[in-house]
Amino acid sequence: MKVLLVGDGARENALAEALANSPKGYKIYAISSYINPGIKEVVDKTNGKYFKGNINSPEFVKEIVREINPDFGVIGPEDPLFHGVANAFREEGIPVVGPDKECAMIEKSKVWMRELMWKYNIPGRLRFKAFEDLRDAINFILEYGGSIAVKPSEQVGGKGVKVIADLQAYLSNEKRNAITKGINGIASYVSDKVKVIIEEKVDGPEYTLHVLTDGYTQISMPLAQDYKHAYEDGIGPETGGMGSISGPKEGLPFISEEEYVKSFEIVKLTAEAIKKETEKDYIGILSGQMMLTGIWGPTIIEYYSRFGDPEASAIIPRIESDFGEVLELLATRRLSKAKIKVNLKPSVVRAVAPLGYPLNKTMASNHIINIDIQKIRELGCKIYFGSVSLEGMQLVTKGSRALELVVINDFKEASDKLDKCINYISSDTKLIFRHDIGRTIENQVEKAEIVRYTYKSREKKGLLGVSADWSPNGGLW
Amino acid sequence: MAGIIGVYAFDKIWNISKFLYYGLIGLQNRGYSHSGITILKENFQLITNEGAPEDIELPSNIEGWAGIGYTGTKIGYPIITDFGTLVVDGIIKGDLNEIAKGLYKDPENTLKEINGVFSLIFLTKDGKMMGYRDPYGIKPLEIGGFGFDLAILSSETSGITVIGGEFRREIKPGEAVFIDAYEISYSQINESKHNYCAIDLVYQSRIDSFVFNKNIYEVRVKIGEQLAEEKKIDADVVIGVPDTAIPFAIGYSKKSGIPYDLGFTRTGSPIRTMLASDDFLKIIGVQLKLNPIKYVVKGKRVILIDDSMVTGRTLKNTVFALRSLGAKEVHVLIGSPKLISKCPYGMEVPEEKDLIAANLSDEEIAKVIGSDSIYWLSLEGLYKVLGKNICVGCMTRNYPKVI
Repeated sequence: MKVLLVGDGARENALAEALANSPKGYKIYAISSYINPGIKEVVDKTNGKYFKGNINSPEFVKEIVREINPDFGVIGPEDPLFHGVANAFREEGIPVVGPDKECAMIEKSKVWMRELMWKYNIPGRLRFKAFEDLRDAINFILEYGGSIAVKPSEQVGGKGVKVIADLQAYLSNEKRNAITKGINGIASYVSDKVKVIIEEKVDGPEYTLHVLTDGYTQISMPLAQDYKHAYEDGIGPETGGMGSISGPKEGLPFISEEEYVKSFEIVKLTAEAIKKETEKDYIGILSGQMMLTGIWGPTIIEYYSRFGDPEASAIIPRIESDFGEVLELLATRRLSKAKIKVNLKPSVVRAVAPLGYPLNKTMASNHIINIDIQKIRELGCKIYFGSVSLEGMQLVTKGSRALELVVINDFKEASDKLDKCINYISSDTKLIFRHDIGRTIENQVEKAEIVRYTYKSREKKGLLGVSADWSPNGGLW
Repeated sequence: MAGIIGVYAFDKIWNISKFLYYGLIGLQNRGYSHSGITILKENFQLITNEGAPEDIELPSNIEGWAGIGYTGTKIGYPIITDFGTLVVDGIIKGDLNEIAKGLYKDPENTLKEINGVFSLIFLTKDGKMMGYRDPYGIKPLEIGGFGFDLAILSSETSGITVIGGEFRREIKPGEAVFIDAYEISYSQINESKHNYCAIDLVYQSRIDSFVFNKNIYEVRVKIGEQLAEEKKIDADVVIGVPDTAIPFAIGYSKKSGIPYDLGFTRTGSPIRTMLASDDFLKIIGVQLKLNPIKYVVKGKRVILIDDSMVTGRTLKNTVFALRSLGAKEVHVLIGSPKLISKCPYGMEVPEEKDLIAANLSDEEIAKVIGSDSIYWLSLEGLYKVLGKNICVGCMTRNYPKVI
């Protein structure tokens, strides 16, 4: 059978590997905007074909679909979904993993997502305001009390989010001024009429729940957590994720089974709401970027309409059953037949990026990376290639996270092994990565425990989700 | 004695001047007779004050995205050189301008060679920040973050949390941290021979801080419990001298079953700048500050716990005040072993001739301060609570060979 994979990052590398490992003997074809060495390896091994081109163009993808006539497709990143690449597959009669663009709105527009959650009373929803006019947003920020998060109204690759925890009245003005100065930057990422949304700010440990859904059946994947801060010890600017963990078993050490079930319930309710709203079945991966909060317990921060990256690299290698086949069953809407068996041991993923990421893409681009793949694999560590292009015989950075290294083992052992593997990677620039990933589990357990006291007590009193802020001039919101 | 802080914004939309200012207020328990901040925008701007950080006057137009701050007992910090601006908690041997030059040009080798007992924060003129703790780790240094926006270096966690930051970890003895817009990296410059300052743990740090990888409050409650193990006293009430000795009293009460009560109330703000340096004013300050509560002590046999005793003058006044309100007996317990020798590393322990415990017997001291009894925590007791990796030079005259 022929599979056409769309996308070029580490997540697609992991998906390609899962497809290639299937005993069903899939032949992998792929479309990327550059030659990803990891995907290329898989394509070559299965005697498929690699296409370079605009993955966001439904017309271009349609041409390739016609040329190779695949049995099904898999779309990795969100941008092709937003542009209707999944629609293109279906218009050609080819089943595909990935929602139509109407359904992918759940990720593309944060306004649409929040409105949907409120309209259908889905638990874990946060208060928000949407702004077309930035002056209104600035006035709102300066005027209202309380802690807030200011976000671009659209998914722009995890960029631009600003958060104020307004717990120190004496620094309130400083924080609000900084955010109002930054708001043009936040809005500049957005093409929609609505530029920014302001949400109530919540705090707690974050995790991602990926749900496979074909419109009939929902299967939840093991939980994962990504690490957003760019620099060591959880300090520094926001990134797409500098690493992730998953497990042990189906969960994470700081999320209870009950919380897992509730999280799954929230995502299922959302999938149903999307169907009511768009009159289309959601076929693909619907992922809740969740936070355990004092106000709700499991709470939605954002939705993904695809696998998270680097969460995918933490989860997919832990699937011991035939995940390639699961993707086929998902695309062809026979998910009820799918079985997912998970390696009980946890996994740790460490992303490696060139110096300059995430603040200076030019600085982080066009560097040569050398990797002793053999040695790294001998150590029991997987490599997925991300923002790095195979040019001639050289690996050249494209400005984002170049590699993801994965080890499946207990957190400490896995982290120690990753320290060793890093030594086999070098570059003509400095590389940045975080040693602390997988090493701060206890802190997160404590953080979750503290949050749990609050939401459990709210739950008992029937106060889940009840919150408000007030200002003398503006009243309640 | 000093508290130092560095605040670094990854995005220049931030004006961090008030963050430095309030962060320093969160550190003024570490000394407050001189304070100052340096802020970097295009150039450095320096503001100093002969007094506590709360009295620093920030110009309304001050702006910058990175800066460092100092509150302590030394004149001249922070210093500005041609290469950057520097704050130090502790004692550094050598010319500070030369050191700043070295830190700018070759930080690792310079840090290898500096002699002293110190933590430092250096902000280069082109906007890179570094922090370092000497290998003995006698002075603390911690790192934290603020959202996606700031990195914070601070002597104590209180400097981080007061400005809304989250504590991340302690810089290890002998370890340096380098911060710029694109990276945070650590380097173990010298092998750790950690010797935490016992006085910092027992007295100087705030009770809400986490310093030297220990919860200060927890440590002090345990010391109180240890005191109760070592010295059983038949009494009616336990009170602690605010604020530092209150956890000792709570610990003593827990262990002994003797009720704890609030013995004092406060007049004025916790620290009055003008009272800082002069000894005579200090005593007035204590009396002004700490008014005992008659209801708590009248007709009672009182255990009074303090964190340390230097000259005994303030304790004498406190004991007198308790008696004049009707305390039947006053037993004084001290939450640290006897201070008998000065600190060469910057902690404000006076010379031997000024230290009452170095010169008089217990009986004589009790007579001087007017208490029914006096007892100091044993050195073994201190080790039991804090572990052996502590500097107890001022209690034993055995100093780690540092400088």
